[in-house]
Amino acid sequence: MRWKLWLLMAPALLWLLAIFAAPMLHYAWLSTQAETVLTGLQPRPVGAEQWLRLWNDARFWQDTWQTLRFSAVSVLLEMVLGLAMALLLHQPLRGRGALRTISLLPWALPTTVMALGWRWIFNDPYGPINQLLQGLGLSGVPFLSDPAITWLAAVWADTWKTTPFVALLLLAGLQNIPADLYEAAALEGAGAWQSLRRITLPLLTPYLLIALLFRLAQALGVFDLIQVLTGGGPAGSTESLALYAYLNAMRFLDFGYSATVMLGSFAVLLVVAALAGLAFQWSRTTQAEELR
Amino acid sequence: MARLALLIWSLGPMVWQLYTSLRPTEALTGGLGGGLGGPGGWTFAHYQQLLHGNPPFQIYLLNSALVGASSTALTLALAVPCAYALSRLGRNASRSLSLLVAAAAAFPAVLLFLALLELARNWHLANNLLALSLPYAGLCLPLAILLLQASFRDIPMELEEAAVMEGMGLWQRLRWVLLPLMTPAMASAALLIFIFCWNEYPIALTWLSRSDLLTLAPAMARIAGSSVYTIPYGAFAAATVLGSAPLILLMLLFQRQIISGLTQGAIKG
Repeated sequence: MRWKLWLLMAPALLWLLAIFAAPMLHYAWLSTQAETVLTGLQPRPVGAEQWLRLWNDARFWQDTWQTLRFSAVSVLLEMVLGLAMALLLHQPLRGRGALRTISLLPWALPTTVMALGWRWIFNDPYGPINQLLQGLGLSGVPFLSDPAITWLAAVWADTWKTTPFVALLLLAGLQNIPADLYEAAALEGAGAWQSLRRITLPLLTPYLLIALLFRLAQALGVFDLIQVLTGGGPAGSTESLALYAYLNAMRFLDFGYSATVMLGSFAVLLVVAALAGLAFQWSRTTQAEELR
Repeated sequence: MARLALLIWSLGPMVWQLYTSLRPTEALTGGLGGGLGGPGGWTFAHYQQLLHGNPPFQIYLLNSALVGASSTALTLALAVPCAYALSRLGRNASRSLSLLVAAAAAFPAVLLFLALLELARNWHLANNLLALSLPYAGLCLPLAILLLQASFRDIPMELEEAAVMEGMGLWQRLRWVLLPLMTPAMASAALLIFIFCWNEYPIALTWLSRSDLLTLAPAMARIAGSSVYTIPYGAFAAATVLGSAPLILLMLLFQRQIISGLTQGAIKG
């Protein structure tokens, strides 16, 4: 009986290995090969040379910083706004089902489609935001041409698209919390804020953790949005790690180094995910002690 | 109040695109005077330009639908047996495998594009819409397996044991007892897979180069990169509207299944 179960799983598991694991192994090999126009796009072994190059590559570290900055701010915003949205969508209000569907729409749209839309919304001076500011007598904001501002525009667009996804995950968690817990807390005189802190947040922890890890991993790999919204500009100020890896392969035709950047990005992702998991664990234990 | 804010936040950008797509170009830049609400009337010119372009815009939608449908079918064919087996496997093996699958679900797919591109080159799969289902099925499998596994677990074991007593083999049990009960979960999973494939960008971008074979996502990026006008936003907005419309329709038609699919994934994942 058992071998039959493994037989049923085999095709899917092999498929997963081929699509996820094999590329990583291939990159490990390719990162030790020079494969550029100079080598006639044929692999030529160069040992650890490209890893040294990565270590000394200012652009890689700048992109790492920019990707971390983008991910930290947008994921934090998405978690906070997502929780607020989930609490709102959990209220037994009229038209709740319709509101849930409408608020989920941004998540369903293709990123490249809405990235193009945001380019027009952020347009200076003809976009609606700047038209509104000018109508109020304020000066326009160069959303897409000022290196200090543009990454925030990307955060804005990403938050718009992914907050509903976080909200829906957290909504699932809210629906699993028994209502009598709140009733009991209310009988003991707990206010809304106290029941949020003492009941909702602790019981929502696993959902918050799933949403956090999932969103962090996706944000650290941000590509579609950046490529269409800003192309990495202005002056490379929004270039993400994934975009840099992409440019190395598709524009500079430097496949070996692209694979190295890819693995470097993956390492960054692993470190961040581990740190986030640890921090979460730590905040949970201190929270538990506080409540005791 | 909060509900109104949520509505404006969610729909505002889309309404703005719809508005832009129906306004003449000169009106958008205030060339006719009067800014946003100014004169100029309404026009379908941007849509006509897209639908009679070379290639016409609707071909991208058809390509995306084709890739979405074939990828969904392939993913489910692989995921259903796997999810069933995973749900019937011992606790420990099942847990550790599920954890690996969950990690794969969170993995950013863009990091795979270079290796998959080489695969396409070596096996001559580039510019082949159906072949795109091969990587897509891989990318969608983790989510599909997690969702379906959770639903298989919800089916009482007694039901299957009764079927064994009736002398039904594994295949018969799957086909006649379990799958009919799995229909809602499979519908949810299918919708989520379809949406993912419809929206996927980096792999489609590198596998497809012929303009009449592009799916929607890379086509949008290509439209963004090539602007005939100084302010081509009327045409851009019309493309945004046409590109969003099928998915908005899908969401409205199948909101229950999509939402339950997402929440199920959260609860059991």
